[in-house]
Amino acid sequence: MTSSELYHTKQQFILGAYQSVINLALPDPSSSDYIPTLLYQARSHIALHNPKAAIDIIPEDNANVALKAVVALARYIDAAGSSETDNLLEEMRDLSVEIEGDDAESTESDKAYVRVLAGTAFACAGEVEEALETLGADTEDLEAVAVIVQIYLSINRPDLAKKEYERSKRWAEDDLLLQLIESNIGLITGKDGYSNTNSFYTEQLGNPSLTSPHILTARGVTRILRNEIPEAKSDLEESLQQQKNDAETLAAYVVATGLGPAKKDESEESWTRLLNEHSTHPLVVEVSGKADLFDEAASKFVVPPVATVA
Amino acid sequence: MSVMLTKFESKSNRVKGLAFHPTQPLLAAALHNGSVQLWNYRMGVLVDRFEEHEGPVRAVHFHPSRALLVTGGDDYKIKVWDIRPQTRRCLFTLHGHLDYVRTVQFHHEMPWIISTSDDQTIRIWNSTSRNCIAVLTGHSHYVMSGFFHPKDDLVVSASMDQTVRVWDISGLRKGSPNTGPGNFETFDTFSTVKYVLEGHDRGVNYAAFHPTLPLIVSAADDRTIKIWRMSETKAWEVDSCRGHFNNVSSALFHPKHELIVSCGEDKTIRVWDLAKRTAIQTFRREQDRFWVLAAHPNLNLFAAGHDSGLIVFKLERERPAFAVHQDTLFYVRDKYVRSYDINSASDIGLLSVRKFGSPYMPPRTLSYNPAERAVLVTVSSDNGLYELTSLPQGSQGGEVKDSSVDGKKGTGHSAIFVARNRFAILNKASQLIEVRDLSNSVVKSIKPPVQTNEIFYGGTACLILSSTSSVVLYDIQQQKTIADINSPPVKYVVWNSDGSLVALMSKHTITIANRTFSEHSLIHETIRIKSGAWDDAGVFLYSTLNHVKYGLSQGDHGVICTLDNPVYLTRVKGKTIHCLDRSARPRTITFDPTEYRFKLALLKNNYEEMLYIIKTSTLLGQSIIAYLQQKGFPEIALHFVQDTNTRFELALECGNMDVAVETAEAIDRTDCWERLAQQALKQGNHKIVEKAYQRTKNFDKLSFLYLATGSTEKLSKMQKIADARGDPMSRFHNSLYAGDVKGRIAVLRDVGMYPLAYLTAKTHGFDDIAEEILEDASLTPADVDDVPSFAQATSVKPPQVVTSTADLVWPTISAGENFFDRALANGSLEGGVEPSYVNGDAAAAGSAMSALDDWAKDEETHEDIDPEEGGWDLGAEEEEFQDAEVEEEQPEEELGAGATPGPDERELWVRNSPLAADHVAAGSFESAMQLLNRQLGIVNFEPLKALFLSIYRSSHTYLSPVASLPPLHLHIRRNPTESSPSKVLPVAVIPLKQVRATLSEGYRALSSNKLSDAQEIFRSVLKTLLLVVLTSDDEARQWRETVTAAREYLLGVNIELERRQVAEVEPDNVRRSLELAAYFTHCQLQPPHMIIALRSAMAVFHKANNQAGAARFAKRLLETKPDSKVVAVARQRIAAGERNPRDAIEITYDEYTPFDICAASYTPIYRGSPSVHCPYTDASYLPQFKGKLDPLINLTEIGAVASGLPAPW
Repeated sequence: MTSSELYHTKQQFILGAYQSVINLALPDPSSSDYIPTLLYQARSHIALHNPKAAIDIIPEDNANVALKAVVALARYIDAAGSSETDNLLEEMRDLSVEIEGDDAESTESDKAYVRVLAGTAFACAGEVEEALETLGADTEDLEAVAVIVQIYLSINRPDLAKKEYERSKRWAEDDLLLQLIESNIGLITGKDGYSNTNSFYTEQLGNPSLTSPHILTARGVTRILRNEIPEAKSDLEESLQQQKNDAETLAAYVVATGLGPAKKDESEESWTRLLNEHSTHPLVVEVSGKADLFDEAASKFVVPPVATVA
Repeated sequence: MSVMLTKFESKSNRVKGLAFHPTQPLLAAALHNGSVQLWNYRMGVLVDRFEEHEGPVRAVHFHPSRALLVTGGDDYKIKVWDIRPQTRRCLFTLHGHLDYVRTVQFHHEMPWIISTSDDQTIRIWNSTSRNCIAVLTGHSHYVMSGFFHPKDDLVVSASMDQTVRVWDISGLRKGSPNTGPGNFETFDTFSTVKYVLEGHDRGVNYAAFHPTLPLIVSAADDRTIKIWRMSETKAWEVDSCRGHFNNVSSALFHPKHELIVSCGEDKTIRVWDLAKRTAIQTFRREQDRFWVLAAHPNLNLFAAGHDSGLIVFKLERERPAFAVHQDTLFYVRDKYVRSYDINSASDIGLLSVRKFGSPYMPPRTLSYNPAERAVLVTVSSDNGLYELTSLPQGSQGGEVKDSSVDGKKGTGHSAIFVARNRFAILNKASQLIEVRDLSNSVVKSIKPPVQTNEIFYGGTACLILSSTSSVVLYDIQQQKTIADINSPPVKYVVWNSDGSLVALMSKHTITIANRTFSEHSLIHETIRIKSGAWDDAGVFLYSTLNHVKYGLSQGDHGVICTLDNPVYLTRVKGKTIHCLDRSARPRTITFDPTEYRFKLALLKNNYEEMLYIIKTSTLLGQSIIAYLQQKGFPEIALHFVQDTNTRFELALECGNMDVAVETAEAIDRTDCWERLAQQALKQGNHKIVEKAYQRTKNFDKLSFLYLATGSTEKLSKMQKIADARGDPMSRFHNSLYAGDVKGRIAVLRDVGMYPLAYLTAKTHGFDDIAEEILEDASLTPADVDDVPSFAQATSVKPPQVVTSTADLVWPTISAGENFFDRALANGSLEGGVEPSYVNGDAAAAGSAMSALDDWAKDEETHEDIDPEEGGWDLGAEEEEFQDAEVEEEQPEEELGAGATPGPDERELWVRNSPLAADHVAAGSFESAMQLLNRQLGIVNFEPLKALFLSIYRSSHTYLSPVASLPPLHLHIRRNPTESSPSKVLPVAVIPLKQVRATLSEGYRALSSNKLSDAQEIFRSVLKTLLLVVLTSDDEARQWRETVTAAREYLLGVNIELERRQVAEVEPDNVRRSLELAAYFTHCQLQPPHMIIALRSAMAVFHKANNQAGAARFAKRLLETKPDSKVVAVARQRIAAGERNPRDAIEITYDEYTPFDICAASYTPIYRGSPSVHCPYTDASYLPQFKGKLDPLINLTEIGAVASGLPAPW
C-alpha cells in the first residue's frame, strides 16, 4: 500500500498534472517515498519536454536502477535526432538486462519502473517489438499496461489493446490508471461516440484533489472527436490560459478552429504560432510532409495553357 | 413499513378520544381527567384546553367545515365548542343521555351530531335547533361507538352486546319529523336497524365504515378484528384478523391504501393487509395500553391514544424518491418511476417498480445515471434492497417496462451512482461499502472509517458518509478520509449545479460546504427541514414543515413563503420552485427572489445587480435597512430611506456630508446642527462646520473657527456682528483674535474698564488714546503715577497665515463617491441595464439577429434560383476501388511482442469513400487528385494546395495520455457514433452551408461594387465546393445550384470587369463596351443583382445614344419591379426610346435568340452553334478553346470528359 502522498503524486502524474508534481516538495531522502517521488518528478520534467531538468534533479551518485533508468530516458529524449541515441538505447538495454538478473539490491517496484522507462524509450525509438518484450506480456504493473496499450493503439491494434485491458481488469481493481487506459482505448475506437472517454475526463475535471490543464486539453480533444466543436474550443481556450505554450493544446486548438464556423484567420493565426514555436510537433511535421506530397502528386498532371482570346 | 414514523408525541393523562382537524394541523385529545386538549401536532404545541366536563371525556370530533368541536363525557353531556381563539367558548350543551357518552361525530353535510352512550342508545341531534332528532334503540348493552356513513344515510354502531349494527337513517332527511322534545315514540319510525352483524364472541368496542367500499371493520374484546361486507340487501362477515392478545380497542381502514390499522390493550398498534387479512406490522409499547385510534381524513397520518398520552404517526415515508438531472426530474409515484420535464411539464411513467421490495412500501431513494440512463432504486423493506434498471429510451406506447425484467438486485441500505459505470452500496449491518460495476459485480470493498448510516455522492471518486455525529468526505480510490464536519446525522445531500457547493441536511440543521469541505457554514432551524434545492445563482432554498426559506453560503437565511403542507423541493429555476407534494405530484411555486438576490449581491459586492434591484423592485422596509446597517453598509441603506431623521442618522454614520447637510436643513433642529458640526469637524470640513455654527448662532465657536482657519476677513465681520449684538465679551474676543488692539481698547473703554483700557493702550504705545482714557476717567497722568510702567507689550497677534485654508476643506478619501451615489445621483434610473443574472429569469437576451444586412436577407428569400436542368450526371459510377474491399480478419494473436500493426484509420477512410474531400482528409492526396480529375476534369491543382492542407490539418488531432510516449494520432470522424471500421469516414471539414454563406458574401461584395473582391470570392467558392462532402441527394442538388450560381456570378463579374477595362484602355471602342454591358444582363443573376446589371446597361446605352437598346433594357428593368426611383428613370428611357427608336452604334447582340456566353472570349454562342463546356462548372466556351485551361477558375481542362460526382450515400 503506497502512502497517501505518493498516491497523490502518482495520481497527478497519471492525469498529466506534471507541473504540480514538479512543484511538490521532496520527502526526506531516507523516506521510502523519496525515490518514487523523485522518479515522478523527473518523469514529469521529461513529459514537459525538459529532460535536462530531469537530469539535474537526480543526484549523480545514485545507485538505484530506476533512477539510472530515468536519467537514461532523459538523456535519450534530450539527444533525440542526434547520433547518440543508439548508445543511449544500448544503455537502456543494459539496465533492463541488469534487473532480470538476481540482483538483490533493487526492489520489485524499482524493476517495474525500469521496465516502464525502458519500454517508453523503445517505443519512442519506434522499436515496438522490443518495447513490448521489455514490458512483458504478463505484467501486473498498470503503468506498464498503460504503455503497452498505447503502443498497441499507435500501431492500430485496438483489439489487442482491449485484450490487454480486459486482462488487467482482473487484478487491478478499479484503479484510476485503469480507467485512463479504458478511456485511451475509447479515444481510438470511438465506441459509443467516445462517451467513455468523455465522461472519464469530465469526471476528472470535477476531481477535488487536483487540477490540470492537461485534462482540459484531453476533454477538448475528445469533444473535437465528438464533433462538439464550440465546446471543444472553450475547453482548449481555458487550457491555453493555464498553459500558454502547450504544443498539444495549441495543435488541438488549430484543429478546433479549423472545423468550427469561426473565422479562418483565427485558425491560421494559431497555426502560424504552432509552426513557429513548435516546429517538431507531429501535426506540423505531418502537414509539411503532406505539402511536399501535394507538390509531387500535382506535378503528375499536365496543365494546359489558359484559354484566352488570342 | 419497517418503522412507524412518529411525528409527534405528548405525555398526559390517559387519552380516550382523538380527532384530527380536517384542514389544519390540529388534533383534539379527550382525556380521562376531564380535559380536552387541542394540539398543533406540526409545531408540537398545546394550542388550547377545554375543561368544562366533569369526569373523563371519551368522545371528541371536529366539524368538517366550521370551527366547531363536539365532545362527550362521563357527565352524560355533549358539548359543542367554538374553537376560534378570539371567540373560544362552549356554545351549547346537549342533555339527554342517561349514562357515559362514548363517541360523538358531526355529519359530513347535515347539521347533525351522532352520539352513543352506555344508556344503550344512539342519539342524533340537530346542532342548529339543538334538539335530539332521533334515538336509535335496539342495542342491549353499552353502545361503544356509532358513526355516520361517509356518503350514504347509514350509521354503524358497536356494542357490548357483541353485535355491530347498521342503521338506515334516510327517514331523517325527509321533512323534519321532530318538532319538539319529548315525543320519543315518533323517533323510531325514521331510523331502523338495517343489519345486525353477529359474530364477535365478546363486546364490540369499535366499528367503522370503509371510506369508499361497502365494508365495515369492527374491533372487539374477543381479540379479533372482523371485516364485514354489505350489499343492498344483506351484510355478512368476510373474515377475521387474529393477532391481538388482549381486547382490541379500535380498528380503522387506511384512507388511501388497502390496510387496516388497529390498536388494543395489548399495548400494540397493528397493521393488517385488507386483502390478505394478514398482519403486516406490529408496533409495541412497553407500558401503555392503547385506547383509541384516529385517521386523518386526507393525509397519511394517524393518532393513537394510550395510558399516558398520545402519538401521531405515519405508516410510510411520504418523501417521494427522486433525482434531478438538468431540467428533468425522475421520481417515483405509486411505485412507478416517472420523468417530469420542468420546462414542458410533460410527465411520463417510465418504469414500474411494483415487484420490487415490500408491496406496502414505496422506494426510499432513487439515483439517476444520465450516461447510462439507468436508475438505482432502494427500498427499506427486508433490511434494505436496491435495484439497478435501465430506463427505456423515450416513452413507448402501451405497457410500461417492469423493473423485474432486467433489474439487478441486491441487499443494501443505501445505493448511489458514484461514476458513470460504478455505484456504491452501503451495507449498514456489516458496515461495508461495496463499489459495483453495472453488471452488479463487486469491483471494490471499502470499510468506512466511521459508523455509517447513509452514503451520498461526494463528487468525483468520493462519497459522503453520514454517521451519528459527523459527516465524512471519503475518497474511494485512495480509501481515505478527505475531511469531516461535525453534524447531526445527515439525511439528505444536495449538490449545486456546478458541483462546487453542497448542502448537507439534517433534521434541524443545514451545513453548506464547498466541495472539499474546507469551508462550511451552518443554518439552524427549529422546525423540521424537509428538502432543499439550489438556485442557479448559488443560493440554497429549502423547505421546512411550513416554510420555504433560503440560505446564503455564509449562513444568512430568511423566509421566502409559507406552506400549508410540506413540499419536497426538486429544482429552482428563476422565480419558480419546482417541487413534489406529499402525494408525489409535481407542483410549482412562484416566488420573489428579490430579497435574497439583493443580499447575495451585497455579499458579492455586485453593485450593478444591487442597483438594478433597487431600481426595479419594491425592496424597501425596515428589515432591509436594518440588515444593511447591521452588515456595515449604511451608505447603501441611505438609498432606501425616505425619512429625513433616519437619513440624517445614516448619513452621519457613513460620513456622507452632502446628504447630512441636506437632511439637517430639512430638519433644522439645533441638536442636529451640533452633531453635524461635530462630524464635519472630525472630517475637517470647516465650511460645513461654519454653516452649522451659523445656523445655531454659535458665535464664540464661529470666531474661533475663523481664527483657526485664518480667515481674517470673516473675523472682522464677526467683530461687526458682535458690535451690532452689543456683546462686549464677544467684541473683546474677536478683537483679540483679529489682533486689533484699538478695537480691544475700545471695548474696554466702552464697558468702563478704564484701568485695563489705559494699560492696554499704554503698553501698546497708544499714548494719545491713553490720554483720552484718562480724561474719560476724569484723571490726570499724575493720578496714575503709582502705576508701574510696564514694558512695551509684544502685541498679541494672530499667527501669520502661511497658506490660506479659508477656502479649502481638509481632503477626505472619496468615501462619498461610491457606485450608488453616482448611479442614483445622475438620475439614470431607467438606464440601468439588467445584469445577466444566471438564473435564467433575466428577460432572455434579445433574439440575436444574424448579422446579415438587407442584401443578404434578400438572398435568403431568393435562394432557390433556377435549378440547373442541364442533366448533370450525378449518378453513381462504380469506382473500382470501392470493391477492392479486403476484410482484414486477423488470426487470433497472442498478446505481447510480435504484434503486427493494424490498418490505419486513414486507410479505412480512403477505402470507405469515393469522395475527393475524404481522400484529402485522409492525406491521400494522390488518389484525391485522381478522383477530382476523373470526376470533374480538374488538371491544375496548384490553386487547391492551401485547401488540401487545411482540410488535412483539420481532420487529425493528437493527444499524449501517457507521459513521454509519442502522442496518439487521433482521426476526427464525421459521425462520432459510427465506429465500425467499414463505415468510418472523416469529418466534413467544409460544410456546404459554410460555402453558401461565403457565396452570400460574394453577393454583397458585388452589390457594393467591389468587383475584384467579388471575383476573388466567387473563385474561392468554386474551389471550395470541390472539396465539400455531400451526404444526400438533396445536398447534391444544393451543391449543383451553388456551383451554377457561383459560375454565373463569376462570369458576370468578369464581363463587367472586362467592360470597365475596355472603357478605360480603349475609350473609343464603345461598341465592345456596349456588347459587354448587354451580355452582363444575360448572366443568371438574382433580381437585385439583375437590376444592377440592367441599370448599368441602360445607362451605358443611353450615354452612347443607343436609345432603342436603352429602352429595351428599361422595359426588362420594369419587369423586375424595382423601387419607384428606378421605375421613374426607366420610364424616361422608354419614352426616349419611343421618341427616338434608333441605335447610334450597331452591336453584335441578338436578344431574341437565346445564347450562352463564352467565358473566355465573352462573346455569345447562340443556340444551335457548337460549343464546349467546362467539366466542372459547365461554363460554355467556343469550340476553339477545347483542351485549354479554363479561364474562370484556372482548374479544369475545357471539354475534358468527366464522370461527375459519385453518390455514395
